[in-house]
Parts: sequence; structure tokens; C-alpha cells
Amino acid sequence: MKVTQAVEIPLAEWVSSVGDHVSQGFSYFDWLTAVDQTDATDEPGFDVVVHLLDVTAPERLRSVLLRTRVPDGAAVASLTPVFHGAAWHERETHEMFGIDFAGFDDGTGLGLRPLLLPDGFEGTPLRKSFMLAARASKPWPGAKEPGEGHGEGLRSGAPSRRRVQAPGVPPPEWGPR
Amino acid sequence: MPVDLPMPRVGPLAEHAPRPIKVVLNWGRRYSLWVFNFGLACCAIEFIATSMGSHDFIRLGVIPFAPGPRQADLMVVSGTVTDKMAPAIRRLYDQMPEPKYVISFGACSNSGGPYWDSYCVTKGVDQIIPVDVYVPGCPPRPEALLQGIIRLQEKIAAESLSGAALRRKYAAHRTPSAAELSRPLLLDARHGPAGQVAR
Ligand code: SF4
Repeated sequence: MKVTQAVEIPLAEWVSSVGDHVSQGFSYFDWLTAVDQTDATDEPGFDVVVHLLDVTAPERLRSVLLRTRVPDGAAVASLTPVFHGAAWHERETHEMFGIDFAGFDDGTGLGLRPLLLPDGFEGTPLRKSFMLAARASKPWPGAKEPGEGHGEGLRSGAPSRRRVQAPGVPPPEWGPR
Repeated sequence: MPVDLPMPRVGPLAEHAPRPIKVVLNWGRRYSLWVFNFGLACCAIEFIATSMGSHDFIRLGVIPFAPGPRQADLMVVSGTVTDKMAPAIRRLYDQMPEPKYVISFGACSNSGGPYWDSYCVTKGVDQIIPVDVYVPGCPPRPEALLQGIIRLQEKIAAESLSGAALRRKYAAHRTPSAAELSRPLLLDARHGPAGQVAR
């Protein structure tokens, strides 16, 4: 669905501001996730994003995207007191980005534990700094790197040697591939 | 009251049977492939399409009614294999009786496909189980699966089921113990062996 409204919220007012939106009618929790903005020039960190819907008039759904910037290493207040179901999303965001949610409570007392990753997985795979280790041991099997155009490869005949440094691609220091 | 039945096996009779009998045995096996569909993603839909009326792989002797891996001869891995799913695939493969065959259906199970770069996708199901036939495509068309099945049947027809040949095919892979086949796949966070949550 089309997001019609996006609001930036200071980190300190995260829970209270989400609560305000709930009382304004945005009482349906859609999803929560994060965006790695650690390469931003001002205020690097992670955007924690939550999408709320107002479902009182189903033929005219209103939605709002709430966003707060969390510096790397800082904790953001958990939304579980407002929406119990946010626990699933916060657990996923925690294991994928390594963001801590202060005051997280899903009723089990077990805290932020891994949800989707296999047992023993190390690292936070959705961070831009996470290395795609497969690239270090095997050459990229595709004819083209991500982002490489269609025309040039055809014209030169051989796959281009140019490497597009996408986030997560191991740098040359990782050794020959 | 459980009845104690001997394990059916391809015994020395089949091993030392004269050639015409082997041809008959192979003919019997190639046209009675009870299939176990390991459908993991979009490719599974193409597999289902192949089993339906217009493509109808039952006419090739592929029977999609195996109640589970223990009754199946052929496993078709169709879809994206993730590292978390991999132990389950290995275990269900181990549960299948020999001789058993595997068709890897689609780019994902062949090599990881469009998710090759992902942190969680296995780079090909052949990293965990031996594969007999690879069907390329994303997703392959049902006709491609029919072609793959015919390839597999040609392979079975040319096969010799002597003990030595069986060992060559499977012995490179360890034989699982009964405990491994019935162990739980996931640790319960609350009752895990460590008694506590990791991380
Ligand atoms: S190969 Fe393509 S169609 Fe098949 S499971 Fe992978 S992404 Fe889906």
C-alpha cells in the first residue's frame, strides 16, 4: 500500500509519540524494521521504522510511517508495552541489525533471543558492514556484477573485470578469488 | 502387536542376476518412482503444475503419493535451500530407502540461484546430498522437469545395482544412525540442553 505520511521522531520521544499516533486512530501495527544508515554524513546510525494503519474506515485506509534515528550501539525503547505483537519484529530487527530494544517484554521473560537465524549464527547479516563470506571463497558465478549494465558486457564479449563495490562484498585484502 | 518383517533389500540375487533379469528389474524401478517433493519456494509450484493434468508426470511412472520420505524413491528438491533448512533435507534424505535418487529442480537448489550472495542460502543442495539430475531454470518449465525425469530414467536403466555399485554411490556419504534420524531439529529456547538462551 502507498505510504501517505512519514514522520521523523526524536529518539527520546519514540514510545510516547507512537502512543500518540495510536490514540489518533493509527491503532493497527503493520510492521517494524530498521534501515542501516551508518554511512550517512550527518547523524550516522540506524533508522528504526514502524508502519501503522488506521483501519476504522477500510475503504479509506490511512497509514503513517514513523522513523527514529538510533546511533550505533545505543538502545531504542521497546514498543512492546504499546503493541504486544511488536515483539516478533523487534526480535527480528535485533538479530538482523544488532539493535537493542530497552524494556523489551514479550511475556516470556526470555528477552531478545534469536528468532529466524540458524542456531549458532554469528553476526548481524542485514548490516551493511556484514561480509558476504561466500564471495571470499568462491568467485561470483553470475555473468555480471549487481549494478552492471546490459550493453557493455555484450559488446566486449568477455565479462567485465570491473568490480562494483556493493556493500558486503569482501575487499581485495580478503585474498584472491 | 507389531509384526517383525525383514527389511526388503536388493540382495545378492539381483546382484548376480543374468543381464536380462537386470534389465527387467531396472525397468521396474525406472517406471515406479514414488516421488517426495521437497518444495521450498516458487519452484514447488512448477513441480505441482507438472503433476497436474496438462503435464501429468504420472504417465512417466512418477507417483506423487508417497506418504513420506520412508516410502519414496525419488526426492525432488524444488526451491531455495537455506542453511537453516539444510539439516532437515539431509535428515529426510537419510530416511529414504536405497536405491534413492535426487532431482535438483531450479536455479536455487542447483546453486543458490538469485540468492547466491545471501547470508542464509545454501549454495546448491548438492553440498548436502548427492544429486542425480539438475534441472536449470528460474523456475524451469514443467517440460524441463519431464525432461529431467526422462534423463533420470535413462540413468536408472543403465545402472547396475551390485553391492559395489551401491557403495560407490552412497558410501562417500556417511550412513546415519537411528538416533540421528529421529533427533529434534531445533533447540527449544526454554528447555535447550544449555538450559538458557544463547546470546
Ligand atoms: S529458482 Fe527461481 S523460481 Fe525457483 S525457487 Fe529459486 S527463485 Fe524461485
